[in-house]
Amino acid sequence: MKKELKFKVNGEDYDLWVEPKTLLVQVLRDELGLKGTKWACDSGACCACTVMVDGRAVKSCSILALQVNGKEVMTVEGLANGPELHPLQQAFIDNWAFQCGFCTSGQLMAAKALLDENPDPTIDEIKIAMDGHLCRCTGYNMISEAIQDAAKRLQAQKQQEGGK
Amino acid sequence: MSEYSVIGKPIKNVDGVAKVTGEAVYAFDMTLPNMLYGKLLRSPHPHAKIISIDTTEAQKLPGVKAIITGKDTPGGKWGLWRRYPELCDQTALATEKVRYIGEPVAAVAATSIDIAERALDLIQVEYEPLPAVFDPLEAIKDDAPLVHEDFENNINATRHIEWGNVDEAFKAADYIREDRFTLSSQHHAPMEVHNALASYDKGTGRLTVWASTQSPYFLQLGLADALKMREGDIRVIKPHVGGGFGGKNSTMPESVNAALLSKKTGRPVKIVYNREEEFIATEHRTAMNLAIKIGLKKDGTILAKEVKIITDGGAYTGLGATTLYLAGTFITFPYKTPNYRYDGFRTYTNTMWSSSMRGFGAVSTVYAAETQLDRAAHDLGIDPLEIRRRNAMTPGYEAPGQYKVESCGILECIDKMKERVKEKWPKLEKDEGIGFATFAYMSGGIFNWIDTPYAFSGAMVKVNIDGTVDLFTQASDIGQGSNTVAAMICAEVLGIDVEDIRLHLGDTAITLTDLGAWGSRETLMNGNAIKAAAEEVKKKLISVARMKLGENIVYDLVVKNKRIYLELRPERGFSYYDIVRDAIKENDGEPLIGIGHYTPHNKGMISPAYGMGIQAVRAKVDRETGHIELRDVIVVHDCGQTINPLGARGQVEGSTQMGLGFGLCEEILMDNGLIINPSFVDYKLIRFRDMPPIELIDVPTYDPEGPFGAKEAAEATASPGAAALANAVYHAVGAEFDTNVLRPEKVLKAIREKEKKDRAGK
Amino acid sequence: MANYRCPCCRKITSDTMDLARHFLGQTDRKHKDWLKTKGLSYAQLIRWQGTEFGNKGYKALAELLEKEAPRVE
Ligand code: FES
Ligand code: FES
Ligand SMILES: [Zn+2]
Repeated sequence: MKKELKFKVNGEDYDLWVEPKTLLVQVLRDELGLKGTKWACDSGACCACTVMVDGRAVKSCSILALQVNGKEVMTVEGLANGPELHPLQQAFIDNWAFQCGFCTSGQLMAAKALLDENPDPTIDEIKIAMDGHLCRCTGYNMISEAIQDAAKRLQAQKQQEGGK
Repeated sequence: MSEYSVIGKPIKNVDGVAKVTGEAVYAFDMTLPNMLYGKLLRSPHPHAKIISIDTTEAQKLPGVKAIITGKDTPGGKWGLWRRYPELCDQTALATEKVRYIGEPVAAVAATSIDIAERALDLIQVEYEPLPAVFDPLEAIKDDAPLVHEDFENNINATRHIEWGNVDEAFKAADYIREDRFTLSSQHHAPMEVHNALASYDKGTGRLTVWASTQSPYFLQLGLADALKMREGDIRVIKPHVGGGFGGKNSTMPESVNAALLSKKTGRPVKIVYNREEEFIATEHRTAMNLAIKIGLKKDGTILAKEVKIITDGGAYTGLGATTLYLAGTFITFPYKTPNYRYDGFRTYTNTMWSSSMRGFGAVSTVYAAETQLDRAAHDLGIDPLEIRRRNAMTPGYEAPGQYKVESCGILECIDKMKERVKEKWPKLEKDEGIGFATFAYMSGGIFNWIDTPYAFSGAMVKVNIDGTVDLFTQASDIGQGSNTVAAMICAEVLGIDVEDIRLHLGDTAITLTDLGAWGSRETLMNGNAIKAAAEEVKKKLISVARMKLGENIVYDLVVKNKRIYLELRPERGFSYYDIVRDAIKENDGEPLIGIGHYTPHNKGMISPAYGMGIQAVRAKVDRETGHIELRDVIVVHDCGQTINPLGARGQVEGSTQMGLGFGLCEEILMDNGLIINPSFVDYKLIRFRDMPPIELIDVPTYDPEGPFGAKEAAEATASPGAAALANAVYHAVGAEFDTNVLRPEKVLKAIREKEKKDRAGK
Repeated sequence: MANYRCPCCRKITSDTMDLARHFLGQTDRKHKDWLKTKGLSYAQLIRWQGTEFGNKGYKALAELLEKEAPRVE
């Protein structure tokens, strides 16, 4: 029996009916067409599917869609401000922090959650926070560097805004 | 040397914005209207006769639109060794018998994945289990069960290489040692699983397939052979690919069965593997038994090498026969080996088959050769870097009848490494060690076992009236960054920006043939094709400019920074845009097009150029637990002229991660043919916290065969990680290993053995 | 100089070692059956050649071919 799911995704309100066993990743990809969120394992062990739910990084393959009822979800599609990339996205590009790009949306969402909480992480803090986000292409170091780079950009941005 | 405008600059990934915004479309993301979902029923037996398959119950399930078994297929066999029809051994669905756990026996198309999966449960297959063989050394015995009836002793392929006089050279050696290794498999584990979407057009009888592949052309050939269709009636399109690493070269059952089901239902059909299927039913690195004998002079000079390899091929051929061939080659690199003998045998066994994986033929053999060399150096009292130095190849080195190494910076790499290590790691902690390993790999293979009549790489450049460029190439970007390299090479030749170029990629119907992304071939081979295509256009532009200038024929013109001008008098020239317009307008509107292609000639049997270098790993061993902590890595690398330093660093980082995984934690565990760790929980990849920092030092050389002097940068660095790690452990605690995955229990055991030996020695 | 012909196919070469290499490279039944009739096992030769040093498999086979292979001018 389908149940009602009311939630916000990337600032938009949605009201849909879903089977209770439906996973969040399925609703995002198959119902809403938000295919930037990937799905890469069946065991909750790769974090490629990571999105933000009420500001926290969550594996969308390991949570039922109905569990986000009334909550606010952010996916990679919601990261940029229109045509303007988020500093994390720009830092990922500038630091060659992806190759195939299949793990990238998950990395970006986890990195966003990390920087929201800790705006100036050390490399070790990044490694601990991001551990478990598998990437078969990059060897991780360039992702860590991109996250630090983004942290600097965000801080500079904040300072500028504060100075105004 | 001329200054480049684009080559050698850190250019950002041309797919960057698409990939960080989630807009990049992978085959995994694709759907078509009216699409059905396919699933494959897989064998639970490693070796069994198929007595009967009953699909009646499954057919009745609402939503099931088609079910096929082996007898519904056209029966075409295929493989990548098309020159040898008997090695084209793959089939869409097993008919008479199954040869490995996970081999598909039936395929279902249904309106949802759920229904397709339920239908699988309702198919009744009666098997008669047969004795199975899993160990290559068992497989070659006279009484072993045969995996393929026509291949006695389960010998799938053999390779013998010999030069010099090995037996005489061993007699002359001061020091000889023999070592034996069992080198394990490794899974590619790309983040995007194998998947394909097939759409058969009833009206025209043509087929279009979108797939996660490393080579659209190989897939087109595989589908043509499997479906008994004309190549030209099959169009393969490669969208963005979520990693391949050698695991997406072969045409696999998902594409063929999606096509068959689409043909049967008249609707598009998509088959996506789940992660478990990815582990149990897609190719992996070739495991091998390896014996290596080396003879040296007292001063460490290599006189002779003899190598024996028996590989675990699994049930089919894939690129595994190529692995066997390359293994015999790369175990000699990058050292001068005056006398050499190699015997390689690939066996069929009842397991999922092994094939190519990043650095195939080199990763496992480098492990054996480089750990052995350290032991020899130790016995002879020679420094590990010094012994490598003494034997390093020099430019122009030739192995008779096999290969010639033109550009060769290995000596410089070793010297730089020596300096850097001294400076960076002057003191070691207790139980900490530094290990070195050299590496080398090809820039594309010269062999043509796929039997293509086309040039190995082709490209087309079309310049539009406004000066923008459409570049058509089948070079397969599977993450490694070849799209960016392609645009850079084209931009450099035409003196424009990367942003002026629109890429048209990976579509067999609109791009010229390229063999695909394997063997580190795209930069050199496709790069040469793109360069030739762009140069053809450039020639046309220059002749128009020359005419307008009315200059003496001896004066050279330069195309750069969107201008075309006299080299000696740069102020005399025209804007690129004007010349493009004139070239089209004044030539009766003839399109401004250049076509280029490349096939290596007279470059030996292996590759036109070799990337190489040396890696150092600093690691600490915990004597109590056997745990190894990776601390730091230095890579000194000669990849010719680097095209894109950003991308090249990415390749070295990623390769190193895989190489270290091969040495530290990645192991496919098998029990009677059953892979018992088919998930990311149980199959351990290197993670954020395991990964040490990497310092990359570039030793630029210029290879005459490469575009702008460039060569391989993607695979060579996958080889040294495991060997350098084992050597670091050897130097830290004296433990020796005859296998590659240094799990703590193995390390502990090796430490105990070493202690025992020391006590006995006293 | 006399040449040797493979007893199982048309391969001709001047050197029995070379012929032995050719012979072990063939995976068809004909070559293997011939070996059997001469009391040698393909598996044994492969094991020698594939796991032991010193070309033992080829040498044994070359010796046999020296005796058995037809000569051609
Ligand atoms: S898809 Fe792997 S953790 Fe969600
Ligand atoms: S970029 Fe390919 S998996 Fe991370
Ligand atoms: Zn013969």
